[in-house]
Amino acid sequence: MATPMELSCWAGDWGLPSVHTDSLIVLAYAKFSGAKLTIEPVDWTWKTLTGTVPALHCEGTTVTEPVQILNFLRKQRYNADYELSAKQGADTMAYIALLEEKLQPALLHTFWVDTENYANLTRPWFASHSPFPLNFFLPSRLASMALSRILLTKGESPLHSIMEVEAKIYSEAKECLNLLSHRLGSSQYFFGNTPASLDAFAFGYIAPLLKASLPSCQLQQHLKQLSNLCQFCDAILKNYFVDRAPGSPPASQDTVDANLQKLTQLVNKESNLIEKMDDNLRSSPQHRPRRADPKPSPLCSERNSTPA
Amino acid sequence: MSLAAEMFVSQIAAAEPWPENATLYQPLKDDQILLSDCASSLAVQAYLRMCNLPINVSYRANAEYMSPSGKVPFIHVGNQVVSELGPIVQFTKAKGHSLSDGLDDVQRAEMKAYMELVNNMLLTAELYIQWCDENTVAEITRLRYSSPYSWPLNHILAFQKQWEVRRKMNAIGWAGKSLAQVYEDVSQCCQALSQRLGTQPYFFNKQPTELDALVFGHLFTILTTQLTSNELSEKIKNYGNLLSFCRRVEQNFFEERDGDSTASSSSRFSKGPSLI
Repeated sequence: MATPMELSCWAGDWGLPSVHTDSLIVLAYAKFSGAKLTIEPVDWTWKTLTGTVPALHCEGTTVTEPVQILNFLRKQRYNADYELSAKQGADTMAYIALLEEKLQPALLHTFWVDTENYANLTRPWFASHSPFPLNFFLPSRLASMALSRILLTKGESPLHSIMEVEAKIYSEAKECLNLLSHRLGSSQYFFGNTPASLDAFAFGYIAPLLKASLPSCQLQQHLKQLSNLCQFCDAILKNYFVDRAPGSPPASQDTVDANLQKLTQLVNKESNLIEKMDDNLRSSPQHRPRRADPKPSPLCSERNSTPA
Repeated sequence: MSLAAEMFVSQIAAAEPWPENATLYQPLKDDQILLSDCASSLAVQAYLRMCNLPINVSYRANAEYMSPSGKVPFIHVGNQVVSELGPIVQFTKAKGHSLSDGLDDVQRAEMKAYMELVNNMLLTAELYIQWCDENTVAEITRLRYSSPYSWPLNHILAFQKQWEVRRKMNAIGWAGKSLAQVYEDVSQCCQALSQRLGTQPYFFNKQPTELDALVFGHLFTILTTQLTSNELSEKIKNYGNLLSFCRRVEQNFFEERDGDSTASSSSRFSKGPSLI
């Protein structure tokens, strides 16, 4: 039973055990089910490029993707859903589908496509957690994957343009957060007093949005109005991750690599600067209309603050 | 549709009553429409029938290109054009016709979640089977999809569509799945729906909602469509309550009007046995 299991995932920050949604889902589920995982962050290794994250290694087999890893853990008798009825199991599937279809596109957009957040938060973070030549290349690769995923799943076919889908995905995401908040109500977890896999998924999606210090944060502000969801995240962090969150393991590594990190951040800032200059050069008249895009946002915030 | 346009539409929509000549457009039912489009179209028809809103069904070879979002079906009501079930539900709501008004907040959240489950699993599985399974592509999809066009346009358009769907499958991580895994996913989804339905007549007991319309559209289409193998419909046939649910919706909303209305002559079979 006690075969050693090793999970490779992105490291933590912002008071979270991991900054990466899928990694966070697996970590939370492992805590809920009592599975002992050895955590091996992929940061500062070449695995950031080649490995699929998160990945669970156990006795020579490798499992990727949160859903598959959760199934694998269940087969190892680490089951957090043991007490759920068949109908609750069905509800779990349905709400996971809701999160994936409605919340994920907006989260990807918030972290990877929104220029301000990407330049000031996401890219510096991922660049400073990748080894030297990759730091120039990895964040933009992840960003283009996120963008193409949004466009392919939400774009309307012939002319895929991010401008047209932005308003739509944000209003859908806000609605999804409202629905989750209604579903959670005043109970501690989604199915009573013990957390199950749906709680792991909801936590994985919501926690980074809640904890990251985003410069452009319309979705985050909406989330902060839904106090029961915020409490739900804080409770999970407090009950299951409290020894880890203030973070001795990342901190110790920090001191070792502090100099290196500072250096990479410096380089990143410089490349940011270069990119901004480049942007300024490019924002000649033909790009003006694109810059004026905050137009739809007041509309949608107006529209969505009412049901909250 | 952009948000501003949506709001504009819903505002003027509220002012006008539902006209008699409302029309739903979909691809040709006998030799063009594909499984996924047929399911979506049937879901919209079922929804409108549940709302008691009359609609004429019109079959056009270029329906996909007429639609404002590039997806079928779409409805033409008064001077507005709305495509896909979600926006159509909002549109009818603006006109004062809604099926989910009686639900409380938690039930509404549940309804939306199950609707996303159907879209996420069943619709994606239908797209996967019709565009990524080589047998189905060669024997059914390519022929039917390109039937209205002559050479070389037929090849170009079918390849373009296939390429687009495959890129989507890649992005959502379905490209690596085998056909068996897709069937397994469908089976899991049906199990969840069956559990949720239980012994109730509709998903939220007595009153049908848009979730019932969506589930009926997909399940009925899968059950009545002949594909290269009948494995997909076998998955549904394992769940007796889903079968009787389909029969119930068909009887209550599609059959009773066969006698009295002319539009229904097309309706009963328009949804059904279409793909060869």
